[in-house]
Amino acid sequence: MKLHQKGFLLVEISKVRSIWDSELIAKALKEYGLTGSYWVNSLCVALDELAAAGLIVRVGSKLDDGKQLAPGRLLFNWRLSEFGRSRMRDTGLLNYP
Amino acid sequence: MVDYALNQAIAQHHERNQRWGFTWAIWTAILWGAWYVPGTALWYEHPYVDIAADNQSLRLAATAVMTWVHAITVLLFLLLWNGVLGKVRDYGRTMVRFRKISKWYALASLCGGPMAIFGSYMAMGFVGPVFAAITSLFYPVVGAAIATLWYKEKISRRAAIGMAIIIMGGVVIYGPGLFGEMDITHNNAWLGYLGGIMSAIGWGAEGAVAARAMDVTDPDVGIQCRFSFEVLFWGVLILPVLALFTDLPIVSLIVSTVTESKAMLWIVLAAACHAYCYTAFYKSFSLIGVGRGETVGNLYAVFALIFIAAFTLQLPQWYFLVGLVLTVLGSLVMFAEPAESVAQLRNIGPVEEGA
Repeated sequence: MKLHQKGFLLVEISKVRSIWDSELIAKALKEYGLTGSYWVNSLCVALDELAAAGLIVRVGSKLDDGKQLAPGRLLFNWRLSEFGRSRMRDTGLLNYP
Repeated sequence: MVDYALNQAIAQHHERNQRWGFTWAIWTAILWGAWYVPGTALWYEHPYVDIAADNQSLRLAATAVMTWVHAITVLLFLLLWNGVLGKVRDYGRTMVRFRKISKWYALASLCGGPMAIFGSYMAMGFVGPVFAAITSLFYPVVGAAIATLWYKEKISRRAAIGMAIIIMGGVVIYGPGLFGEMDITHNNAWLGYLGGIMSAIGWGAEGAVAARAMDVTDPDVGIQCRFSFEVLFWGVLILPVLALFTDLPIVSLIVSTVTESKAMLWIVLAAACHAYCYTAFYKSFSLIGVGRGETVGNLYAVFALIFIAAFTLQLPQWYFLVGLVLTVLGSLVMFAEPAESVAQLRNIGPVEEGA
């Protein structure tokens, strides 16, 4: 069985030093076979929740030039925080699969 | 120019998240308040209306049956919600990770279900409903304290002042009713006080415990996990134990509840309110934190009286207006908190570390 969506996002962020949300969302859409703006927005909300909880931190931001998700859309570059790493360890996500 | 547009977009982004967080918390309060109408009406239908007020053991057994049937109906409404949102598969993926993740939802369901609801009914039965309502108002203090100590949730000075004002408003609404209710000479009153403590700790702890799993899972999915476990606790553990080891008529209570159309109508209405009240509750935790979400949820005290007044045409006392002003003031104090300080709820470092 696949990992739940927030777990997948955390695992992907933990694999790299930092990652833009457009790239991360593209990976998640492919993983779960999803399309459309509803799922893009839903994944963005999940990232905001992870950031509010302090598991990931924003290390950069820019406005979409139209080549990523949508023209003028705010894009963030994410990195796993130490707290996020510790929470991933607690929940068995750090060493997934 | 580019920097200005970017900074503006970031500020709007934080404000939007804060606004959504408080909007979900206010929906929690509205639906929780609305829940009291069908929740109270249910006691006036068969088989519950036939139970004598002084028959405490049968009333508690009826409460357990009612809570179980209610929890099953809530679960069905949540299934519908997640079906529409396309999150049912994510529910399955979350539930199976019991040892590391969904166990926290199981613990949250124990805190919010058997401990808090049972405690609240003890407080109602052995002291009185006003005492039960007042003790429940203090649950955000417990939730905020656990969240702060356990995983460093930030409670700013402004948020703490807002919380204190809202709780004070709730006490003003219900407080005067206490004078006619408290009777310390009553032999079993201590059971009621114990129940009051159980409800405040149970509901307060539920938010903090659930938030631990919600850190890594979706809140819509999380609430469905939490009710799945509550259905199991009542249906597989508590009710079978009561049926097997006591002479309480558990099976006949279940049969007469589900075959009584009026009782089921109130249960369905109560469950619809409760399902989406809890969904809004959990969604607010992810965006504004357990302490703020629970405190704004406390506005249910105001909405419950408004809904009851609307349906029974009995106007609340004058001091309700004082309580209303205080709770609205407390909410405004909390909402006026800078959006940036709500953008990160834990003390783990800066929000933006630079590009």
